[in-house]
Amino acid sequence: MSVNNRDPLVVGGVIGDVLERFTRSIDLRVTYGQREVTNGLDIRPSQIINKPRVEIGGEDLRNFYTLVMVDPDVPSPSNPHLREYLHWLVTDIPATTGTNFGNEIVSYESPRPTSGIHRLVLVLFRQLGRQTVYEPGWRPQFNTREFAALYNLSLPVAAVYFNCQRDNGCGGRRT
Amino acid sequence: MATATPTDSMSRVWSMSSLKSSLPSAVTCRLPSPSSRRPVLVSSPSPRLPSFSGLSPVNPLISTGLPGWQSFEDGFKIIDGGGRVYAMRHGRRVPKLNRPPDQRKALLRGLTTQLLKHGRIKTTRARASAMRKFVDKMITLAKDGSLHKRRQALGYIYEKQIVHALFAEVPDRYGERNGGYTRIIRTLPRRGDNAPMAYIELV
Repeated sequence: MSVNNRDPLVVGGVIGDVLERFTRSIDLRVTYGQREVTNGLDIRPSQIINKPRVEIGGEDLRNFYTLVMVDPDVPSPSNPHLREYLHWLVTDIPATTGTNFGNEIVSYESPRPTSGIHRLVLVLFRQLGRQTVYEPGWRPQFNTREFAALYNLSLPVAAVYFNCQRDNGCGGRRT
Repeated sequence: MATATPTDSMSRVWSMSSLKSSLPSAVTCRLPSPSSRRPVLVSSPSPRLPSFSGLSPVNPLISTGLPGWQSFEDGFKIIDGGGRVYAMRHGRRVPKLNRPPDQRKALLRGLTTQLLKHGRIKTTRARASAMRKFVDKMITLAKDGSLHKRRQALGYIYEKQIVHALFAEVPDRYGERNGGYTRIIRTLPRRGDNAPMAYIELV
């Protein structure tokens, strides 16, 4: 189903900052420990130290998918000049399986936001073939749209986002 | 069951003695006014109880006979800690946030400072919708950019670094946007007191 204006991805600003409007066609289930990630969920960094369990839908095992995890609010949502820090990139995931079966070309780095509440977006793209996606040179200043255009990934097939802020409060006031 | 025949066939009125004899002796009851009904074992009529309607707000259309209906608003009180919730907002100009005016001003100053510092904060829905006006005001001051406006902003925001950063970046970021510099996203209620929460962020 295509995203309408009340969709959480539009309301949360993910579509616009990170992605274009797309049509969901594949199921995407992300689980950190016992918690399943739904749009806009609030999670602390202590709960996302280890990579999540990701399961995708689809029917045909010959289709391969790429999962990208980015943070568009780096270093702070009020001033995101390092927009989109790449946390995780897994390619060649066959349909109906999970990231364990894919090729993790950028290893999972657990998010540690210093300032403000950051959104963390997980996007699923469909690849044209196997081993067509390569790792970028660096993690910050990542642009999901350019990445998709570069490797002919077209529009996303699924996306989910959640919120994360630092564990110990806002860090105090500095005059 | 023993039947009783009217002693006085002319008046068709049962007499008490014949009735009492016909009834089982263990029962003594006051019968209603003498009538030509067949005497059956009937207890004293109890007063009609109003039916239990639960804790739902009283609906004026369903007459349950409950007293206390003085005005239109009486039917809409919801059981809580004493705050009144009505369906209308007539005449309410300022959100009071359950605080005296000085604390209210300090709360809003603190919230706008934090929002301008962090870009996105999570707070209760009432506070988020109350602070929109003041965040927009600060951004409008920064858009103007003159010294007087800068000093006015310094008088409101608690941290001067934030004011200087705001005045530096607002022309680029909000130059073309006319108003509506914030966005509120409602979220799950807080666990401790079930307060409705919301994210408020700078657009």
